[in-house]
Amino acid sequence: MNQKSLIAKTVFYLFIATMIIAILVPFFLFLSTSVYSEYEVYEFPRKFIPRTSFDLKIDWVDDKYDFSVFSREMDDYELLIQTDNLDKLRRFLKRNLSVQKTNEEINRDFSVSKNGEPLYLTYKKDLLYNYKTFFSITNKAGKAVANSVIAAGWTILISLSFGSLAGYAIARYKFKGREQLSLILLVVRMFPAVAVAIPMLVYLLKMNFDNTMIGLAIVYSVGNIALTAWITSSIFSGINVELEEASYVFGATKLQTFTKITLPLAVPGLIACSMYAFLAAWNDSITALILSNNNPTLSLVIYKAIGSSSAIQLSAAGAVILIMPALVFTFIIKNYINQMWGEVKL
Amino acid sequence: MKNKFRKWTPYFLLTPALLYYLFFWIRPVFNAFIGSMTDFDGSFSLRFFIEVFKEPMFSAAFRNSVLFALISVLLQFSIAFMMALLLNKKFKGVNLLLFIALIPMAVPPAAVAILWKTGFSTFGWLNNILITLHIIKTPILWMTAQGFNALLFLILIDTWTVLPSVMIILLAGLQNLNKEYEEAGLIFGATKWQVTKDIIMPILKPTIITAVILRMIAAIQVWMISVMMFGYGRVPFLVERIAYYTDVVPMLDESYKMSLTYSVIVTVIVMVSVVLYLQVSKKSKKEVEI
Repeated sequence: MNQKSLIAKTVFYLFIATMIIAILVPFFLFLSTSVYSEYEVYEFPRKFIPRTSFDLKIDWVDDKYDFSVFSREMDDYELLIQTDNLDKLRRFLKRNLSVQKTNEEINRDFSVSKNGEPLYLTYKKDLLYNYKTFFSITNKAGKAVANSVIAAGWTILISLSFGSLAGYAIARYKFKGREQLSLILLVVRMFPAVAVAIPMLVYLLKMNFDNTMIGLAIVYSVGNIALTAWITSSIFSGINVELEEASYVFGATKLQTFTKITLPLAVPGLIACSMYAFLAAWNDSITALILSNNNPTLSLVIYKAIGSSSAIQLSAAGAVILIMPALVFTFIIKNYINQMWGEVKL
Repeated sequence: MKNKFRKWTPYFLLTPALLYYLFFWIRPVFNAFIGSMTDFDGSFSLRFFIEVFKEPMFSAAFRNSVLFALISVLLQFSIAFMMALLLNKKFKGVNLLLFIALIPMAVPPAAVAILWKTGFSTFGWLNNILITLHIIKTPILWMTAQGFNALLFLILIDTWTVLPSVMIILLAGLQNLNKEYEEAGLIFGATKWQVTKDIIMPILKPTIITAVILRMIAAIQVWMISVMMFGYGRVPFLVERIAYYTDVVPMLDESYKMSLTYSVIVTVIVMVSVVLYLQVSKKSKKEVEI
């Protein structure tokens, strides 16, 4: 019996360990890639922890600098470039090693080797180099971040204002067609985004809303109004009606009761709805591809970057920027996931 | 007078949302159906459906979408169910584990593709791990995968991403489950497997169906990881074709009609799944009540 439970326990913890490794290892190695320099990407096989600095060896040979980097894999210095051109050295340091130095600094440091002895020195890597470069070479990246935030903002505004009214009605009133309405909301939530986005293109072109963030938000809100109505209706029905009645007894008007009693109690739920709306807009690419190809969101820029640039470490840096807000919001709303998917009542 | 007002309040509150749906959901979708069934001059014609069906990529896209949906959903459901059963126990660190399990779910699709591309590229971390562990001697060229292998790749990547969300839906269902049923079963001498199969599964059926159908709908619409990993056309999907006609073929009337027709086909497939879901879930609800 004891042995059996020991085996069961071992299997249990092995399973959990596998799960944690399967999730965290790819994620961690992806994060490392985003801070790799070009040189490290092609170092193979390489160590898994990214370098923070490079050990360099400079030799003054035939009126040229022999520039070598210590390779951890070969356990020796690897000759990378021979030149006396400071500009060339500066560019090489920047592009291949993510080391940012000025010509003067390089000249001052390297010229020591001219006395005949090989010079050993350590240069610090700029760990944020890929992040900075992603924004400077992808000229639309900065605008794209702003676009994503604006599209998300409009989506939150539209979904909350339209959806919470509907959610309040569903929670507080009995009316004809209530069942059918729930069904419609369910169907809308499951409706493929492309099926709305493509025909909407014609309308948006007519209204001159193509390639605008409002145009995108209009499409994102279709599913999100339903979701907001869904979540808010369960929030409002969870708020005790007696509290509202007590407020009436003390002479408050309907509007006062709503703004002073009901709304504050619903705020956490409304925040959750906003975050869902944010994520829907932030994570989407197909709708943005169809409706706003010339004025892309961040997600779309990253999708396009993978096709155009071979520098995987730059795409990885862009992807990390895309992940960060999504990660934060997902963890905040995780308690509402139950409400989002579970308990589908018909 | 006041009563009459109250009777109309809900409709008043619903009007904005309903108007929104009339203008931005019903109208465009209706026009998409009309548009896909008319020629450029507006006359009725099934020309674009015939052109879509005749496209060599269509049958591959259709087959891949269906295969992807079936295999990934089956795989994800079985693993997620096991995980949910396991995590439903109380043990040290369960919250930390849940926290970790949520990470893949939070990664946006575009980032998922890049995450795995850093792994599967020739000098990527996966080959690096395998060589460091002395499992292989020379790098494996993962990205040259073709046909079914490439499809399997995408299924595995998708599984990594969505497994936590499926697990959380099932876990939520398990946590709402009355523990007494389970205990009663065990007292009457049922094995753990029997309890799972005959007590937990039937009660959990609505949750299971919800999880499965929602996953299926998302899986039918997969496109991005395919394009980002392999480019257009290597592993075609239905929505990938829409992206192709939008992104690669310049926005001509012809390509617009093609993508419109594809979107109608996707809608029909998804809606059939939804109807199927509603039918089955209604049935299962009755069974549970009995």
